[in-house]
Amino acid sequence: MNTTTPAVQVRQLCKNYGSVQALKGVDLSIAAGEYFVLLGPSGGGKTTLLRTIGGFHKPSSGQVWLNGQEVSHLPPDKRPTSMVFQAYALFPHMTVLGNVGYGLSLAKLPKAEVRDKSMAMLEMVGLSGYENRRPHELSGGQQQRVQLARALVLGRNILLLDEPLAALDAQLRKDMCLELKHLQEKVGITFIHVTHNQEEAMTVADRIALIADGELVEQGAARDIYRTPQRRFTASFVGENNLLSGNVTAVEGDTVTVEVCGQPLAVDRRDLPVRAGETVALSIRSELVEMVSADGTAAADGCSLSGTYAESVYLGLTLSHRAALADGTEIVSRVVGESDAPDPAPGTAIRVQWKPGALRLHVN
Amino acid sequence: MDDYANIWLHRAKWAYLLLIVATLMSPVFYVMYISFNENGFGAAQYVFTTRWYGLIFSDGQLMDALRWTLGLAVTTTVLTIPMGLLAAKFYKATRAKVAVVFLLLAPLFVAPDILSAALLVFFKNVNLSFQGLGDLAGVSFMDAWFRLGFTTTVIGLIIYTIPYAFVVILITMGRYNKEQTEAARACGATGWRAFWDIEFPQIRAGVFSASAFTMILCFNEYTRTSLLKGGFDTFTTVLVSQMLNEGMSEQSYAMSSFVSFVAIALIGGIIVFTLLRSEAAARRAQPVAEPNTVPA
Amino acid sequence: MTDATDTGLGGLPPVEPFRPTLRERMSGWAFYIPIVFMVLFFALPMALTVVFSVFERTMFWMEPGFSLLAYENFFFSARLENFLASMGYSLISVAVSFCLGFPIAVFVRKSVPQAAQHRVVLLFILPFMVSEIIRIFALRPVLQRNGLVNETLLNLGLIDEPITALLYTHTGVIIGEVLSFMPFIVFSGFLAMEAVPKYIFEVCDDLGAGPVRRFVDVILPLAAPGIFAGAVFIFVNGLGVALIPNIMGGPGAVNAGLIATQAITALDFPLAMAVSAIMMATLMGLLYVGHKLFDLTKILAPMN
Repeated sequence: MNTTTPAVQVRQLCKNYGSVQALKGVDLSIAAGEYFVLLGPSGGGKTTLLRTIGGFHKPSSGQVWLNGQEVSHLPPDKRPTSMVFQAYALFPHMTVLGNVGYGLSLAKLPKAEVRDKSMAMLEMVGLSGYENRRPHELSGGQQQRVQLARALVLGRNILLLDEPLAALDAQLRKDMCLELKHLQEKVGITFIHVTHNQEEAMTVADRIALIADGELVEQGAARDIYRTPQRRFTASFVGENNLLSGNVTAVEGDTVTVEVCGQPLAVDRRDLPVRAGETVALSIRSELVEMVSADGTAAADGCSLSGTYAESVYLGLTLSHRAALADGTEIVSRVVGESDAPDPAPGTAIRVQWKPGALRLHVN
Repeated sequence: MDDYANIWLHRAKWAYLLLIVATLMSPVFYVMYISFNENGFGAAQYVFTTRWYGLIFSDGQLMDALRWTLGLAVTTTVLTIPMGLLAAKFYKATRAKVAVVFLLLAPLFVAPDILSAALLVFFKNVNLSFQGLGDLAGVSFMDAWFRLGFTTTVIGLIIYTIPYAFVVILITMGRYNKEQTEAARACGATGWRAFWDIEFPQIRAGVFSASAFTMILCFNEYTRTSLLKGGFDTFTTVLVSQMLNEGMSEQSYAMSSFVSFVAIALIGGIIVFTLLRSEAAARRAQPVAEPNTVPA
Repeated sequence: MTDATDTGLGGLPPVEPFRPTLRERMSGWAFYIPIVFMVLFFALPMALTVVFSVFERTMFWMEPGFSLLAYENFFFSARLENFLASMGYSLISVAVSFCLGFPIAVFVRKSVPQAAQHRVVLLFILPFMVSEIIRIFALRPVLQRNGLVNETLLNLGLIDEPITALLYTHTGVIIGEVLSFMPFIVFSGFLAMEAVPKYIFEVCDDLGAGPVRRFVDVILPLAAPGIFAGAVFIFVNGLGVALIPNIMGGPGAVNAGLIATQAITALDFPLAMAVSAIMMATLMGLLYVGHKLFDLTKILAPMN
């Protein structure tokens, strides 16, 4: 395969259900051999996008290109993709081996070859010795492994995973995430994985695309999505960001001054088209916010706000301090590690502050 | 049944339920009882005999009617079941669910005499139109189209049975997970292969039940058949003309009992069979402990 | 779109609409076969009854024309009286069936373990496995003067002389209709009770609502669409099945079905069609009213 051709290209893809627009003109390009995650809230269109790539939905308009070929008109069985479904998609009337070998026997491979390939694939997913069991005799995690084997044994170069871990409990999901990642590195084909769980997405992804409301909101490397969200929605969905809104009072070169609750904040402009007088959104990750006792005077450094303390929430690894700004906006400061110092009393005046550059500007 | 309920009240309700079933079935059982009496209905003395059953099988006209009935039942079933399947699949896929379900279930709400009267006049008119068309074109091969007979009866019976087949198949399909078909497609199966390899084995029980149900309904049907059949006789039309001409004869008791036996045995067999299957399925569905072996 | 997205595709050519291949379209058509069949051989004949009912009657058949004679024959004769009377008796059958059958549906849903519910309801299918004509005819030896019921009651000494009102009377028709159609109220009631979640019973107990309040305030409104469908089924069949008044009824027990069959025997086809059209209008009217009142599409919920 030509490695410069993207494995998946989606152009201006729209999908309508009656008057509901599930996809509103999505453009997307996924490189060969990439572990790509479609992340987003339920009902945002990420599963629709995946299923349209797989051929389970016909696009209302737009095109799907796989390995450099336009495939929009092809049914799933004619596409170079295979798929792992959320759950319950194993054939209950067949054994594990029958499930894994089904695609190969459809391709009219000799029986011995079907068996050998299926057994090898079962070994790869760690299910040697289970080949004669029925799906209902397997645990949820094992069933998903069988699905993986059934999809991978076909030797197609794009694997679609539709919330493959959603039905598993939390601990198993963590283990399976890593396994998926390692498996993808081993087989080297393109994985496209749909999930609404950001931890899952971060664990496995080379790149993440955020899908919400039928649109591709933002895409990029997992780390960039977390650390430098471009859009307000990304900031609200990924990580634990504080969201503020305020009015632009001045734009000077690369620095924008935004007034929040009567206090000016300085934020990097990032070449965004912004004018004085506009209402904009600001975001800052809660672990970058530090809460200190107020000394009575509002700091004018552009990197702090005053508010009143509300409560603390103990989460084990981290401790969240919650405070409210003058207009009622909640702001959270998250700290790692135990502290023996007593929490401020609720209602105490406090100040939240951060390092220059931590605050991010978002325009609509 | 919760822990605080009155156990006797609960039992009384069960008894009532079974009493109603028994009442519904009592005429049939009574007929069966009479059919084995040498002296027939109303006699002071009950003498067991199977003589009346022997008479059925030596009755040439009746055996002929049975053959016609069987032919009708088989033809109708062979046509109704695939149509019920197609309709159920269509219903699952379409968004115009109300229209589809109305069209397929409405025959339940049209009484047999009304529907068959409408069909009778419709077929006669269509037949006359084809004859007229044939006369105009100078050909005669269309003259027999929709003339009352086997075809028109089968059409009437399909309309009668399709709601039942549709509902039974639809309910069975409800337990099937559509993602399995998609998984099969992703494995390279065409739509038809996916249906045949994956879905059909799982809805087979429902399809067979629907087939048996359709057969029995056709066998038992009287009103539609008698109006649409044209020349031949079926089991029920023979039975009814006999009852109307001679009153309830011993032989008609035996005939009624005979078909009732067969039907009850058939459907009873299916119920027992599906119960055993569903019990086995329920046992299989026991949750399996999660971490069996996690591969290294 | 987004400022962070760069697909590198530049200016796109206009997107062509999706076109399925010929084979895909052909296999898609197969799914329309049942629909087409039902439209052609069910909906169309039923609709045409209206047209044929105004045709002119001839000696053995009818010819195109416009005549309201058939309707005149129906509305200005004893037929109308009989039809209206049969409506009354049909309503009684509905009420009796509901009182006898619906509690069973509630009981099965409420007190029978989930896994066994369908099996219990299956018991009520058994009578349908026996031909309707056999079941109706079999009622004669059961109900007649020296039949099963009278003999039993006489032997028990509960009555001194046989009850003759059980057969060849309107009572006989009602008995026949109830015994024939009651299972349908159990089925539809059972389906309707799917709309009543089991926790409702616990909530009612918790709130201290008695059985009557529970039934009137909670079960009835929730199960209304299903109950209505079952009631309409029994009502129209009570009006339309000729066999029951024919076998069980006495003089004057004539319903719409019997009028239609008698008209066909008398070769008065326009009259038969008029009766069919009237029955169809009755059904449509009932379904329309029911739909306005309860939203009948709710019945379909268990099937999705």
